[in-house]
Amino acid sequence: MTSATRLGEEANAGAQASRRGRRSETVVLFVVANQMFAVAADSVHEIRSTDSIAGAANEIDHPELPKVRHTIERSGHTYYVVNACMHFGLPVTRPSLVMILRRFRAALLVDRIDRMAEISGVYPLPHAFMGDERRWYRGLAYLDDSVIPVVEPRGFLTPQEFQRLDLAQKEAARREAEAAVQA
Amino acid sequence: MSSIGIVGEAGRENSFVLLQIGHRRVALPAAQVAELAPPVRLHTFPHKTPLLAGVIVRRGRIVPVIDTEPVLGGKSPLSHRFYLIAHREIGGANELGAIPVNGECELANGEVQPPAMDRPAYVAGTLAVGEDSVDVLNLDAFSTHSSAEASR
Repeated sequence: MTSATRLGEEANAGAQASRRGRRSETVVLFVVANQMFAVAADSVHEIRSTDSIAGAANEIDHPELPKVRHTIERSGHTYYVVNACMHFGLPVTRPSLVMILRRFRAALLVDRIDRMAEISGVYPLPHAFMGDERRWYRGLAYLDDSVIPVVEPRGFLTPQEFQRLDLAQKEAARREAEAAVQA
Repeated sequence: MSSIGIVGEAGRENSFVLLQIGHRRVALPAAQVAELAPPVRLHTFPHKTPLLAGVIVRRGRIVPVIDTEPVLGGKSPLSHRFYLIAHREIGGANELGAIPVNGECELANGEVQPPAMDRPAYVAGTLAVGEDSVDVLNLDAFSTHSSAEASR
């Protein structure tokens, strides 16, 4: 047996072993600045057009978190709306949809939904990736000959960022109440 | 040289694969080399790690592609003839990494001399090949190589 064959077999064995650890799941494929991403379908609560929720959105200003400019109220909860372009460092586009996440007080501005798809599993992000992407992604999916990052919903806002936004939100509400009293 | 030729010789001690990356000729220990792959599609997605161009899919595995251009010069990772896939150790884990290679690869034998003090971390040493002296790459160091160092 040649070394090349052995290496090939080792590579295949490794690939099979890593495949065994994966399970199929349904994802929503969405597009931001011409880049496709996937998110687990059960992480998405609802998807609305930006026009349809414009009336329910409130502005929030936090200079350290320019990716969050709005909040929306849904079912008695305040969701922070994250601009996905700014989050991923992509060219800023005009998003047309808001993806409201489940189990998490965040919503995501995206350009469009491509489709729902079944993926055979999520490959772990290679260790070579060491930056913020380790927080952004659960891993990678291989679908239709393309590698698509599978986003981690908790990666859009850290607990510290939530804390800062909650404080800014309270402060804005207090100022609004004071202005109302003065009026 | 075929990929089988390279891999078949990979077990030899003091054996190195000489690569042409951009305008630079560099060497890599042959034992680290897994295979020489065709220029399959490079998949890119947003990330913040310097010196990574994206990933390729090879033998059912997702292999990160090292962007050598800022360090070694040459053209973009999109214009190359092969990917040289090698083993790397990152954060205690062993995984494959690919380097876009735009020239011929050949085997060479020799003793590695330690690098000069001022050489960057990605240079593990120097190898005398005929009258030339080529840098032996330390692929593991590419993962920690900062952008500032890359411009040196």
